[in-house]
This record gives sequence, structure tokens and C-alpha cells, in this order.
Amino acid sequence: MEQKNINEEVKNKEIIENNESAVQEEDYIIEVDNVSLDFYTRDEKIDNLKEFFIRLIKGKTERKAVRILNNISFKVKRGESIAIIGHNGAGKSTMLKLIADIYRPTKGTVKVKGKVAPLLNLGAGFDQESSAKENVYLNGAILGYSRKEIAKKYEEIVEFAELKEHMHIPIKNFSSGMVARLGFAIAIDVNPDILLVDEILSVGDENFRNKCARKVKELRDQGVTFVIVSHNMPQVRSLCQKAVWIENSEVMAYGEVNEVCDQYIKYCNNKK
Amino acid sequence: MNNTMETLNDKFRSYTARKRNSFKMNANIVRELVKKNVKVQYRNSIIGALWTVLNPLLNMLVMWFVFSTFFGTGDEWYALYILCGNIIFSFMRGATVQSLPSIVYNRGLLTKNKISQFVFPVSCNLGAVVNFAFSSVALVGVMVVTSIANHESAFGPSLFLVVLMLPALFLFSYGLSLILTAMYVFFRDVQHFYNVFLTLWTYLTPLFWKKNAILEKAKAQDGTEGFLYHALEFVINANPMYHFVDYFREITYSATVNGWSLDFYGFPKLGILYLIGLAFFGIGTLVFSLTRKNFIYNI
Repeated sequence: MEQKNINEEVKNKEIIENNESAVQEEDYIIEVDNVSLDFYTRDEKIDNLKEFFIRLIKGKTERKAVRILNNISFKVKRGESIAIIGHNGAGKSTMLKLIADIYRPTKGTVKVKGKVAPLLNLGAGFDQESSAKENVYLNGAILGYSRKEIAKKYEEIVEFAELKEHMHIPIKNFSSGMVARLGFAIAIDVNPDILLVDEILSVGDENFRNKCARKVKELRDQGVTFVIVSHNMPQVRSLCQKAVWIENSEVMAYGEVNEVCDQYIKYCNNKK
Repeated sequence: MNNTMETLNDKFRSYTARKRNSFKMNANIVRELVKKNVKVQYRNSIIGALWTVLNPLLNMLVMWFVFSTFFGTGDEWYALYILCGNIIFSFMRGATVQSLPSIVYNRGLLTKNKISQFVFPVSCNLGAVVNFAFSSVALVGVMVVTSIANHESAFGPSLFLVVLMLPALFLFSYGLSLILTAMYVFFRDVQHFYNVFLTLWTYLTPLFWKKNAILEKAKAQDGTEGFLYHALEFVINANPMYHFVDYFREITYSATVNGWSLDFYGFPKLGILYLIGLAFFGIGTLVFSLTRKNFIYNI
């Protein structure tokens, strides 16, 4: 019963959305249209040649498609921020990678207009053997900046990350908090149009977290679009105008942030 | 009609502009990666990049010490013979061994950013070029020393052909790197296979032994040019590295000191090198391009 209501609401929302899009089409900075993503896996993962040839001879190399995301659609206006919420393993982080153009959708299209900063998540996005300084330059190059341009931004990045004394240390000796700080400092300093944030705003010490929150608000006021994956509902409500709730690879609800969060919390409580 | 032409023109212009931009961007990334590769190699070592010069030199000394009585009798230029072979083979080995796991090692970068997968094998191969440049210093040193010892100059005009030969070697090692790198993403035992294969390859390439001497021995054993002779000749000729090593020796010192004539200044041989290089480059690019979309799901 509950489920049906939600689905109907979603449909209504979609109709409204579609009408909106007919009026002003150019305003959307991210358009995710009916996106599905399949991962191909074999029953047992074959990652060596020997195994592969044995299977080939036995004729057992069938691949199975596993649907990670199913028919996801949402749009984000320029300057608007959106949260992706849902349980662990629902496909939220995968959705971010689709927006970052790291994964290609199996079906549907993802249209992004503007510069996307590197995905901010807890995994290491740096070269472990290189020093923090070298990584700043490497990341700058990946984001399309020349050496000169990055040299100009370097001081700012170091200052924001508060890592002045540590810039010559290889990243492998950094703590996870320090890595997150450096990643955040680089991502915000390259003037992105879109920032993809995966659970990173809740790491680091109190001091840095507050600093991040302030910076995020500042950037948002400047018109930077945030796509945030988070389990922290108060944070989501304060930062975003819209939210998508993904559950079991599908959109459960999409719309105004408070409504979607309320539905999500209700659903979680009912489940208990 | 005019309109469609204009939009097509616009599209083409924006396409070329995009291509140019992405080339510039990738060039920046490659430069940073090459720098990193060269630096990381000699981090925590006292003499640093000097190792790139010392490494081939020490290798040469060991080989010269061990093999000179067996294979080098009667050859005053045997030290150069070994060194020339070694730095060419090391270039290929360094490039491919570094390149092979590069996509998997850089998963941190690949899963966070949109980067062309090509930058990793390219930068590993360019890193090998840098190492080769350092090794050349050792080569010039040994050329001077052996020239003095033999009262005959090893330096000749054919040395300039090195500039024409290197791109062919680069194409070969880059193509091979692409194939290996792509394979390693899907099959992790490729690294072990390749390491064993490299050992075999090192011995199958005339680095310290000589093609003519081996074939003479085979002939002497059978009395005529029998099966063994032809089998050996085939194995040697089918080895791409033999052609690179042989040509490099010829243009660096043999042509000068032994008075060998390079037919048409070595151009027919150079043609063979480019055929090998382009073939591997083509196959490698094809394999890599077809598989690279799936890398992200396997790293």
C-alpha cells in the first residue's frame, strides 16, 4: 500500500518535471534520462588465463548480466544541488560514477554540461608512491590545467588542506583524514561547475568538517552544483534542494528534499 | 543547403578544437606521469638518476667478465657488442614491464576521474626513452674507451641513423605494451607468464652470443647446413628484438670499424624495423581500443 503511494507520487513528480523541462530546457546542468547499468559477471570470476582456457574448453564462459541501476531519471538545474539517498549497496555511488563519466550507461543517457571535479570519496584517488605535491600537479593536469595554472593555485590548496609541512611526504604515509582533506582542497580549487561528493563531508576532525561545511555553502551560493551521497539527513536537508532516493537499483522517490527525506525515514522506520 | 554546410563546418571545427584540447590535456598528464615514473624509480637511492647510467654499465661488465672468453674471443669490440644489445633490450624490457600493470596500479586515478586509458602505457614508454637517453651516456663513454684501447675510432657518420631507428623501436615496444597492459587487466597471471617469457627472450636474443658463431657450430656438428642450422636460423630471424639489436650495433660501431657496407645506408634493414614496429603498433592499438571500455569494471 505504502509502496504504491510512493510510486504514484513519483509518477506525478515526473509529469511535473517533464512539463518544467518543456519550458526551459537549457537550464539543466545534469540530465539523467532512463539510465540502466548492467555489470557482466560470470558465476565465478575468472581473472587468469589458465582458468579462462579451461572454461573455454569446457564451454562454460557464459556471462550473466547483473542490473546495478534500473531506469533512473532525474535532472538538476544549474546552481541547484541534489542528494542521492538510500541504503548501502543501492547503487548511489555507481550513480555518481555515471555522472562523472567513469561508467557508461548500458541504456539511456547522461548529459552533463560543465566541468566536473574529481569524485570525492573515501577511496584513494592519488598515486600512493608520489608526494602530496606531485599529486596536486598530477590531479591538476587530469583536470585540464597546465603546470603554470596549477602552480598559481598550489599555495591556496596547501593552505586550505592545512598540510603545509606534509607536502613532500608520499601519499602512502598520509592518514585517511589527510587524504580526504587534500582531495577536497584540490576539488574545490579548480573552479568546477559540478562537485560529486560521496560520504566525504563526515570525515576529518571537527575543525576541518566545519571548514568544509562553510566552504560548501559558500560554493553553493556561488552557483556550484553539488551531487551528494550521504546518510546524514540533516546535512542533506540543509545543503540540497532536491533528492533522489534509490532503493534496489530503482528510483523510489524523487523531488523536493524534505519530502523525499521524510518518505525515506518513514520507510526505514517501518522496516524496523 | 548553405545552412547545413555551415552547421557541419561548425561541428567539424568544434570537433577539432575538442580534439586539440584533449590532446593538450593528455600531454600534460603524460608529462606528470613520466616525471613521476622516473622519480619513483630512484627514490631513496643516494646517487639517484646516476643509476640509469651505471646500471647498463655494470650489467655490461658482468656479462663481459663472464662471457668474453666463450663468445668474445678475437673481438676487441666485444664490450660494445654487449652494451649495444643490452641497452636496446633494456629499453623494451623497461617499457613493457612498467606498462603491463599500469592500468591496474592506477585504479585510484581511473575510478575517480575521466582519463584516457592510453596515457599510462604512453608514459611508461616515454619513461623508458628517458632512461635510454641516460644509458646513451654510458654507451658514448664505452665507445671512447674502446676506441682508445683499439687505436681505432668507433664513431662514424652512420651513428646518425640512430635517430631514424628509435621511432621504430618505440612503436614496437609501445604496441607490445598495449597488448600486455590490456591482457593484464583481465588475466592477472599474464605478469608471471611474461616474466618467464622475458627470461627466455633474453637468452634467445643475441645479447652476448653471436648469430654467426652459433650457426657455424650447428653447421660443424651436422657437417652441412642441416635441420639444426635451419631451425636455429629461423628462431633467430623470427625474433623482432634480433633485428633491432643487430641494426643498432651496425650503425653505432660495426659499420665504421669493420668497414661493413650498409646497403643503401641501411635503409632496407630500417624498412624491416618499421614493418615490425608498425605491425605491433597496429595490433596493440586495436586490442587496447576494443577492450579499454571494460577496464573500469575489472580493476
